[in-house]
Amino acid sequence: MISVSNLAKNYGAVQALKGISFDIRKGEFYGLLGPNGAGKTTTISIMSTIVKPGGGSVSIAGNDLLTNPIACKKAIGVVPQEIALYNDLSAYDNLMFWGSLYNVPKPELRSRIDGTLKLFGLYDRRNDKIKTYSGGMKRRINIASALLHHPQVLFFDEPTVGIDPQSRNLIYEVIEKLHNDGITIVYTTHYMEEAERFCDRIGIMDNGQIIAQGTLDELKATAAMKEAIIVTFSNLTDEYLERVCAFWKDLKHTGSVFHFYSSSAKKDLSAIIVQCNDIGLDISNIEIQKTNLETIFLSLTGKQLRD
Amino acid sequence: MLKLVIKDLKLFFTDTRALALTFAVPISLITLFAYAFGGAGRSKHEVRPMQLTVVDEDKTDASKNTIAKLDSLKEFEVMQTTLDTAEKLVMKGDEAAIFVFHKGFNDSLSAGKKPFIEVKYDAAKETEVSILTGSLTGSLMGFIGNKFAAANTIKKFDADYPDMDSGMRAGIHAQILRQYSAGDKKDAPKEAFITATPLVAEKENSPGLIQAVSGTAIMMLLFAVVGVGTSMLDEKQEGTLKKLLYSPISPNKILFGKMIYANAVAIFQLTIMFLYAKLVFGLDIFHHLPALVLMILATAYACSSFGVLLASFSKTRQQVQGFSTLIILVMSCIGGSMIPVFIMPDLMRKMAVFSVNYWGIQGFYDIFWRMFPITNTTFLSRILVLLLIGTGMNAIATMMFRKNILNIAE
Repeated sequence: MISVSNLAKNYGAVQALKGISFDIRKGEFYGLLGPNGAGKTTTISIMSTIVKPGGGSVSIAGNDLLTNPIACKKAIGVVPQEIALYNDLSAYDNLMFWGSLYNVPKPELRSRIDGTLKLFGLYDRRNDKIKTYSGGMKRRINIASALLHHPQVLFFDEPTVGIDPQSRNLIYEVIEKLHNDGITIVYTTHYMEEAERFCDRIGIMDNGQIIAQGTLDELKATAAMKEAIIVTFSNLTDEYLERVCAFWKDLKHTGSVFHFYSSSAKKDLSAIIVQCNDIGLDISNIEIQKTNLETIFLSLTGKQLRD
Repeated sequence: MLKLVIKDLKLFFTDTRALALTFAVPISLITLFAYAFGGAGRSKHEVRPMQLTVVDEDKTDASKNTIAKLDSLKEFEVMQTTLDTAEKLVMKGDEAAIFVFHKGFNDSLSAGKKPFIEVKYDAAKETEVSILTGSLTGSLMGFIGNKFAAANTIKKFDADYPDMDSGMRAGIHAQILRQYSAGDKKDAPKEAFITATPLVAEKENSPGLIQAVSGTAIMMLLFAVVGVGTSMLDEKQEGTLKKLLYSPISPNKILFGKMIYANAVAIFQLTIMFLYAKLVFGLDIFHHLPALVLMILATAYACSSFGVLLASFSKTRQQVQGFSTLIILVMSCIGGSMIPVFIMPDLMRKMAVFSVNYWGIQGFYDIFWRMFPITNTTFLSRILVLLLIGTGMNAIATMMFRKNILNIAE
């Protein structure tokens, strides 16, 4: 459905994209993760045709982006991060306007608007002006306005930033429905749980490059991640420290908090507890840090996702 | 309370743009009004010369000398031209009046008859014409009054003493001439010198009403269309412009959509203004309806282009509002929205052609005062100028907007 090949973009002397390539299959849910400045927005902006690429090629639904941008625009729907609606128009009028830009016949458009408003739970407030809506309701209409022309591909740019849990859950349900309906989705987010929950595949970007991509399991394998057993001691002394380091080589400690790294935390947990008891260390807390997208991301980029 | 004042003053002085406009707007207007109403830019005793358009049809030494003497005076700046050209200047509104030295001027003067000088004028500018005529009559008195009075006295003397000896008569004639040339008597009646004929006569629509309606309507229209132009900047700030660019509509179509919207608002506003003038003040707007429609369309086009152009150069709505106030007030001042152009000094009249207001107001004068038909070349030339101004500004605005639009996501 989407094919990106050797895509590059410079802003002055800054290389925003350094020749990235990836393919997204039809109906796939593809997550694009990266810290600020990684190149996610530039990638999405190029794919959504509002920024010209500096090099490389992009094909969407079989149409080349440079030679046939209008066909690409018709195939995509974009949900921008900012709420881009006319505050003095009603939700219905907003949707009518945005839908009409894609030449959807009016009777059909009206029917789609009604359906979409019901899907987002805002049908009863369809005639209220947007300025009377809460942030979460506005965000729902913001998403709804990108769906009316039934795009084959949807770009979501952090669609759940700063909204209430109720709206977030409703948006999650809609996104899952769209995915189940077979729409190809490209999703950027800072929320790891969203990426883990929805994405079939994830591309991790840093410094204008895709440094890893694949399913969550593939990324775990790529990162060669170990789990961590985090133990806090209440009576740590220098003598104890030497003896702990003697029985477990792969560890890090900060004060009395120790990270024991293991390829199977479940298997090694009891051995670590027994050894500590034998030494005479009192354990005040134990937790297991499993490998997740957050740790993979940290491992691959050396940065927190919100950096 | 004092802390609040200090805080607000700090904020005020921090905003250099607002600070500059706070002073720039009134200073600009004071300067323009000072020049317009005279006095500014001249020394205390300096007199601003009045433009005197003169036609010499007599072409005798007497007429040439009189015109040369008028030109030598610091009060006048004489421009000589043909009768046809001069009349067109009045008809077009470029001159308030012209002075014609008719054939037979010298003969009449020598015979002690009323010298044949005629002022042809635009009745819309009677105030200016009165000042000009009064001033001219006073000066003419100095040049030809004695000659006229001497001839008149000799004529009267000859009538009273028809049988006098020719030698004695010649001696007395010479004495009369000597006395008048010495400046002893200047008793010729002033009104005898100049006859007045309106070229553009008083009409049903008063010039004051036309000035008030067209001048104010155009000035307020400029303010309104700037607001329309800035809606593009609002779209940019609120993210809807970016969202429009995601859609299959080309950037040009987005821009042209805005331009058409600005035009529609401008046409609507002007139409309402003239309908109001008709209903409340009785302005006869239906006399040349096709011409009025054409003028409204052309003025709306030029004014809306100005609004779009101003918005295209600015990055935020606040910037547009600041600069537009300054530019519109200055343009309205020199263009005749605030002060009629004909009472402005020559330099300001020349500057007036650079404002949209001037061409619009003169066009409405053509319709309501000069009663030009739609086919009149002067009227059509004003329409053409407005269309050219609009097209030029739209072309620049298109380039600027395209550049800005393409930069939106960069």
